Amino acid sequence: MSTDTRALVATESSTLELAGGGLVALSLLLVVGGLVGLFGVVPVGATVAGVPFATLLGAGLLVLGAGVLGIGAASRTGLVATDPSRSAGLLAGGVFALFGLVVGGLVGAFALGLATAWPVTALLVGVGAGAATVLPREDLGSTLVPGSVAVVSGLTMLSGLVGPGWSWPIGDLSATLYAEVAIPLLAAVAGLLAAWTAAKAYGGFGSRGRQLGAYLLIGANAAWMAALLVGLVAFVLMKGFAPMTRGIRYGLFVQPWTWFYFPPIEEYVVISGPVIWFYWPFVMEGVALTNDINGVLPAIVGTFWLVLGAVTFAVPLGVGAAVFLTEYAEQGRFTGLVEVSTNGLWSTPSIVYGLFGLAFLVPRLGNTTSILAGQLVLGFMLLPLVVITSREALKSVPDAYRDASAALGVSKWETIKSVVLPAALPGVITGIILGVGRIAGETAPILLVMVSDPFPSAAARVVQGSFHFTGSFPFVAAPTIDLVQSSSALPYQLYAVISAGLDQNMAFAWGTALVLLLVVLSFYAVGIASRVYFRRKLNQ
Amino acid sequence: MSESSLTDSEMETGELDESTAGIDAGGSTTTDGETEEEVQAEWTDYSFDGEPKISVEDLDVWYGDDHAIQSVSMDIPEESVTALIGPSGCGKSTFLRSINRMNDRINIARTDGRVAIDGQDIYQDGTDLVELRKRVGMVFQSPNPFPKSIRDNIAYGPRKHGDIERGLLARLLGRDEKAEEDRLVERSLRQAALWDEVSDRLDDNAIGLSGGQQQRLCIARCLAVDPEVILMDEPASALDPVATSKIEDLIEELSEDYTVVVVTHNMQQAARISDQTAVFLTGGELVEYGDTDQIFENPESQRVEDYITGKFG
Repeated sequence: MSTDTRALVATESSTLELAGGGLVALSLLLVVGGLVGLFGVVPVGATVAGVPFATLLGAGLLVLGAGVLGIGAASRTGLVATDPSRSAGLLAGGVFALFGLVVGGLVGAFALGLATAWPVTALLVGVGAGAATVLPREDLGSTLVPGSVAVVSGLTMLSGLVGPGWSWPIGDLSATLYAEVAIPLLAAVAGLLAAWTAAKAYGGFGSRGRQLGAYLLIGANAAWMAALLVGLVAFVLMKGFAPMTRGIRYGLFVQPWTWFYFPPIEEYVVISGPVIWFYWPFVMEGVALTNDINGVLPAIVGTFWLVLGAVTFAVPLGVGAAVFLTEYAEQGRFTGLVEVSTNGLWSTPSIVYGLFGLAFLVPRLGNTTSILAGQLVLGFMLLPLVVITSREALKSVPDAYRDASAALGVSKWETIKSVVLPAALPGVITGIILGVGRIAGETAPILLVMVSDPFPSAAARVVQGSFHFTGSFPFVAAPTIDLVQSSSALPYQLYAVISAGLDQNMAFAWGTALVLLLVVLSFYAVGIASRVYFRRKLNQ
Repeated sequence: MSESSLTDSEMETGELDESTAGIDAGGSTTTDGETEEEVQAEWTDYSFDGEPKISVEDLDVWYGDDHAIQSVSMDIPEESVTALIGPSGCGKSTFLRSINRMNDRINIARTDGRVAIDGQDIYQDGTDLVELRKRVGMVFQSPNPFPKSIRDNIAYGPRKHGDIERGLLARLLGRDEKAEEDRLVERSLRQAALWDEVSDRLDDNAIGLSGGQQQRLCIARCLAVDPEVILMDEPASALDPVATSKIEDLIEELSEDYTVVVVTHNMQQAARISDQTAVFLTGGELVEYGDTDQIFENPESQRVEDYITGKFG
């Protein structure tokens, strides 16, 4: 143990912190560089500022590895004041040993060309890496392996051993590892390893160093997750924005608003005013030969009715079942059975629901695929999630509320209605939001029970339709009800475009995907807004 | 203090030896190391003028196989404060909860015996629980206001019982009783000594009040349904000293119009606020019941004296 004690209040950053911080920055830069290369934003073969990208990555890795090894050595020899533990620990040792096992195997099989003896090198390198991590003091143990990995990978890239154009057909597998993947991947992995070590070094090793190392890994993990989500949405937006917004036209015109006959002057009076005219073909048109730009209006309308119908069907039933199971039913074998079966239903594949709808619902609902059948099938799918989340929400309402209400002489049902359900509402809404997200994008069941023509020209007229009142029994008539007619829906239309073979129109597909994303997000927005509203009402 | 506790433990061990010597090998000793003292009928016999508000006869309560209350009989006079004291797990809360049948809400609880309010047995068939709990209100150990506005908390009971009509339908039919509700809210909050603190924010959520204010709100909520008896289960145990003294003052005021039964852990509190005190000891027995002064100054049972002077429990 080092006898140097750290100052209670650090007034200026030490050499160690400057070096460690610089190395963390460099390694994160390399991780980002690796990911950028991996996703092809900057190809490996490209030149950046006159230098080939691969060379740049290699040089960075070399500097990083040398720095990490240097900082470890400096700490071990006492050049910089640190507070390392006796060993880097079994966890780090195990992880590095596993890493060494893979690297050793690859090197043995590829670089040395060992046909059957590669497990020997794998084992040797693995055990070596593990021992080099666990046996020496922590400052050396946690720098040796990451530093060497960075140095070696940097050297292979700089020397051109693994350069652009390099490829490795992997044994008997019909797969080939290309430099486009290998180089950025190597840079990212080595960079991440070194980042962890550098963060530990920044904290002077020991418990503070380990804390910083873990913090960096967790932070990198979270950043990666957020980046993945943002990247996904951005990618769809990038691809779909142009086709979705193609042909938007708008203008301001003066048009007659209304007119009427005015007897004193025996003339028609016309009242005119400005009218905003807005035409967005992609979301206002169907698919027809006469259209300049085809659109997805029928599919949007189909998805809207689908989600609305499924929610109207599933939410009252699901919440009611949850109320019965939590508030009324005696907890025991029956509720246990219901719990198991709802969980099972929630994990049932959607195509099975679709098949059930096709075999059971479709023949009973006019023997044709229809919006109604789709709504019911998706409602069945939504039901278990609503039951599960509502039960959890109801269970989390404190019993103190129920006791207080009962002590005032208020009946159970009134208590549930006025106290328990309002308190559980935010949780229930969260469940509905999750469920809507799932069913709005569901393709398999509606493929079987709802659609026929993937590219209809007109939207389903569920509300207006041909429904009207009549003078004779049963006082309503509806020769065609679109609710029991087939309709399209966004995910299905997307699927149909992609699988259309020669007619494939990827721009149309990306536009549809973006609209689907926006429709789901708008359902989310409604759900989240109502959850925020009710939660605020509970604790403002 | 250390001196006296030392003598305590010496005495206890001494008595423990005695009792084990006295009882045969299979015999049991009490958990607190005391010799079992036979409860005598006159200790729990408390006479007072007038009819009892609450009359309990041979009440037994079991939780499963656990005998929580053992044939307790006591009469509680009206418009007074009765304190129930005793160590943890002695059944005093169970006893309190059996007065408004809150034990019915616990599946494994079983009750036997007679509890009468104004001479009417509440455990007989056909008892209207709604009416019973309107007459016998309850305040719980930790403040439990609903996550609603202060006004809604107070008006909750009367609205649910149909005493006050509010809402869209009432407004459409011209029967909205907002003025009456306002009067009720103000009266209840004044009774609970909370009006001055919250009168300007009746529509704020009750969750935002302090612990002491929340507990007084719960008392006001209980008063709003116009009860005759108020049961309080350690109403001040979760509160700081200032809030506790407010609650204590409130209890003394309430006893002018209501019959108050208070469970408390705090013996000074029982001595300060109650007119009569019942001491429950381990095993769900009522050991002694009488005037508070008499119980605290000159208890008849040795065990009660030990408990009150802090020698056990």
